[in-house]
Amino acid sequence: MAERILINTVTRVEGHAKVSIYVDDAGEVSSAQFHVVEFRGFEKFVEGRPFHEMPGLMSRICGICPVSHVLASSKAGDRLLGVEVPPAAVKQRRLVNLAQILQSHALSFFHLSSPDLLLGFDSDPARRNIFGLIDCEADFARRGIRVRKFGQRIIELVGGRKIHPSWSTPGGVQTRMGAEARDEIAAGVPEALESVKLALDRLKSVLDSFPVEIEHLGNFPSLFLGMVSPRGEVEFYDGVIRIGDAEGNIVADGLDPLRYYTYLGEASEEWSYMKFPFYKPLGYPGGMYRVGPLARLNVAASTGTPLADRELREFKQRSRGAVCQSFHYHLARLIEMLHCVERIEELMVDRELMGKRVRARAGQNQNEGVGACEAPRGTLFHHYVVDDDGVMQKVNLLIATGQNNLAINRAVTQAAQRFVRPEAIQEGMLNRVEAAIRCFDPCLSCSTHALGQMPLEIDVRNSRGEVVNRYRRGR
Amino acid sequence: MAALLIAIGNVFRRDDGAARRVLELLGPLPGARTVEVMQLSPEMAEDIAAAGRVVFIDADVNPGPARLEPAGSPSASRSPLAHALHPEEALEYARRLYGFQGEAWICRVPGTDFSTGEGLSAEAETNAREAAGLIRKLFR
Repeated sequence: MAERILINTVTRVEGHAKVSIYVDDAGEVSSAQFHVVEFRGFEKFVEGRPFHEMPGLMSRICGICPVSHVLASSKAGDRLLGVEVPPAAVKQRRLVNLAQILQSHALSFFHLSSPDLLLGFDSDPARRNIFGLIDCEADFARRGIRVRKFGQRIIELVGGRKIHPSWSTPGGVQTRMGAEARDEIAAGVPEALESVKLALDRLKSVLDSFPVEIEHLGNFPSLFLGMVSPRGEVEFYDGVIRIGDAEGNIVADGLDPLRYYTYLGEASEEWSYMKFPFYKPLGYPGGMYRVGPLARLNVAASTGTPLADRELREFKQRSRGAVCQSFHYHLARLIEMLHCVERIEELMVDRELMGKRVRARAGQNQNEGVGACEAPRGTLFHHYVVDDDGVMQKVNLLIATGQNNLAINRAVTQAAQRFVRPEAIQEGMLNRVEAAIRCFDPCLSCSTHALGQMPLEIDVRNSRGEVVNRYRRGR
Repeated sequence: MAALLIAIGNVFRRDDGAARRVLELLGPLPGARTVEVMQLSPEMAEDIAAAGRVVFIDADVNPGPARLEPAGSPSASRSPLAHALHPEEALEYARRLYGFQGEAWICRVPGTDFSTGEGLSAEAETNAREAAGLIRKLFR
């Protein structure tokens, strides 16, 4: 009797989603789907707005990674103006993007994933959360909070507020950075560096405890896409696109992010609001690729900072080709955090950061502009078409989590097939399916400010759609 | 030790912004600091722990009059979404990580319209005024 197991709603991810696990007549898991069940419509409702408003509006897309949207939007606006952004503004934007990646990764690792990693996938679900972690490792949890706070404080000091800053604007940024802000940030670097190093060591000390999860929570060949500098280093703000394959070969390099639509396609499925981007030369769904920390470290030759580079060399030794285990997103995330702190430290002694000119002013000179940068979860593209009065006519947003959509679905299926026994569902099995999703740290949209309850429900349905078993956790 | 009033909510989701309206109605309270946030986050634990008395003011989807009640413990069965804490969870962070031992209250301000847009419903406005009165009494 064919059955469907429904996990509704997925917990400890940003936003709302559910998972359906389909069981065939033989009682085996045949497939699984990761549904995104909320619709935002930002691309549509900003039509008709002046493009200068876009960074502020785009900032509202997300409460975790608003900076990425502000930056991609500002960069698209830079193109519409046709100006060169002053170096001080570029450095400010870089600084705030680093801070955002740091704080977002800290949230993902310390708050959302550490309970699984440090308390165990099968530990009591009532305690497998941040409070359980605090009981066991209070200093670790406290450090995690402070690292995130450090990142958020930088965003606040430079961008004006922690969440939804909109200081960046087409042509640059709105205000110069003060020496007090710089000094406060510089003073926070040593503790952040120490905490990230400790977290990295802690994660590496437990990785060997999860051989089965590493093998089955999204371990498959795919393409990897990320932004790199001209020297092939990890680049978060402005670079070219590099695509690598599972064997570690570079498939495409030096791709212009402004022409993303020539090599990236966007498919859709009727069972999800999230798009399914793919690499055009390999078609859909064969052109599945992954973005984000794992992809960035796979395609980059180095990070360009000493401590992170040492970790990257070790990371790359985990596989003869690319590191294909999605579980290692966690490790990649921590290496990127180390890199972020190192880069922030470098910027603190960069004279250009404090430059007087922070904005290039001009009228509209183009009718189409694309802005791209690396967001915490992967490469982000904003594509705007405006009329001669600068009014938005068409918007396309290619979001990092969307680009991982095919891979997340593949990971969910793999995890369900390995861990879920439909005849005897246990919470730990389903937690592993969710953990496969959490590797990608999907950001489905926290800015909706969800109201109501967020339960975890698993419905087991027979081929007639009747519920034959129901599992529920939390509220 | 100083008191801390935390208004939680999104003014662009109509009645969800009721807590901020309560702060407007209250005006300055002697010895109290106010913070307005869209959502609570773990990073606030340090600030909460430093206060002698903390009052969380939050909109409520459940109907009824405004209520001011002592904060309890977080539900054990809840799967926490760390990016949007409940007041009880933020308090728990403050207690477990920073040894918070002060007084903690939650002021709930029921609303009826949480759709996209600005401005409170008549019910939420009435409840906001009641809530401000309750908090004033607490600080007398």
